[in-house]
Amino acid sequence: MFDFLTHKGIENFVGVPDSTLKEFISHGIKYKKIIIATREEEAVGIAAGMLLANSPTIVFMQNAGFANSLSTITSLIQLYKFPIIFLIGWRGFQKNDAPEHKKIGQIQPKLLKDIGLQTRIINKDNWKKNSLWAINKMRDGNSCALVIPREFID
Amino acid sequence: MIRKKAIEACLNNIGNSPIIAANGFISRDLFNVKDKKTNFYMIGSMGLASSIGLGIAIKKPKKRIFVFDGDGNILMNLGSLATIGKIGPNNLIHLVFDNSIHESTGGQPTGSDIIPIEKIANACNYQHVFKTSTEKGISKILNKIKKYSGPILILIKIEKDSSIGKRISKTPKNIKEEFIKNL
Repeated sequence: MFDFLTHKGIENFVGVPDSTLKEFISHGIKYKKIIIATREEEAVGIAAGMLLANSPTIVFMQNAGFANSLSTITSLIQLYKFPIIFLIGWRGFQKNDAPEHKKIGQIQPKLLKDIGLQTRIINKDNWKKNSLWAINKMRDGNSCALVIPREFID
Repeated sequence: MIRKKAIEACLNNIGNSPIIAANGFISRDLFNVKDKKTNFYMIGSMGLASSIGLGIAIKKPKKRIFVFDGDGNILMNLGSLATIGKIGPNNLIHLVFDNSIHESTGGQPTGSDIIPIEKIANACNYQHVFKTSTEKGISKILNKIKKYSGPILILIKIEKDSSIGKRISKTPKNIKEEFIKNL
């Protein structure tokens, strides 16, 4: 998926690590395309700067971090209309996930809906189609989210 | 020296370089002193001016990028100093207008009179750190750093100011589009 997105013109991946996305992130680090921020809002800010320099950027994070950055998404990304693709690992998708993920995982779809961020949930069968959907949203000047449910517990 | 005077002194020395201005009175004062198309005014998202500046500095390595920040803003996003120091863009100049209060929200204390922001920047791998409280000092430092590699932080101590500048009359979308076109 990383290679596919790069091939489609994404030049930067900025975010905060998430175990659901660990292989994606490790792969990107190998190609020196990943910037790790200290917090999700910071990642969103760096991505906005890259977009001001006309360089297509994805922000990756866990859904807990998505909740952290709600105000930044509304008052920077949506207010100024930055075309960012959010790649969000969804903890708390499974009912038996760790306790800290349960509540936020449960309200994740509603949070996305309430702030009006168009979303596709991706899996191993539909990721290519939905990545293309996100790329097209970005090219039209819109932000959107791709959410990856964590379907395993370790 | 009040913020407006400090901003004027900065603008006399940095020409037409792009500026990312933190939200609140910093953006308003910059807008009222000298509006230009390569100013990016933040309206919300407090704390993120330095992060936005970092993103631009990485992608435009041949341009010097100036961030106009405040003490309250920096303390809200201290992690940004670490990320800037870790990546080390040599074209990023971080100016901090430090009055030790959240002036835009009514003058509540930030604590920067106790916590030295310049020392944090130093520890975070900024290549050069300066501190001044005069217009003359600002000119001297900005002239000196023309040959220096960043990231550079300049802490500018300013006084409280009771005047409130006019709000920015451009729409966020216009601010963004003008900036992109003229960067």
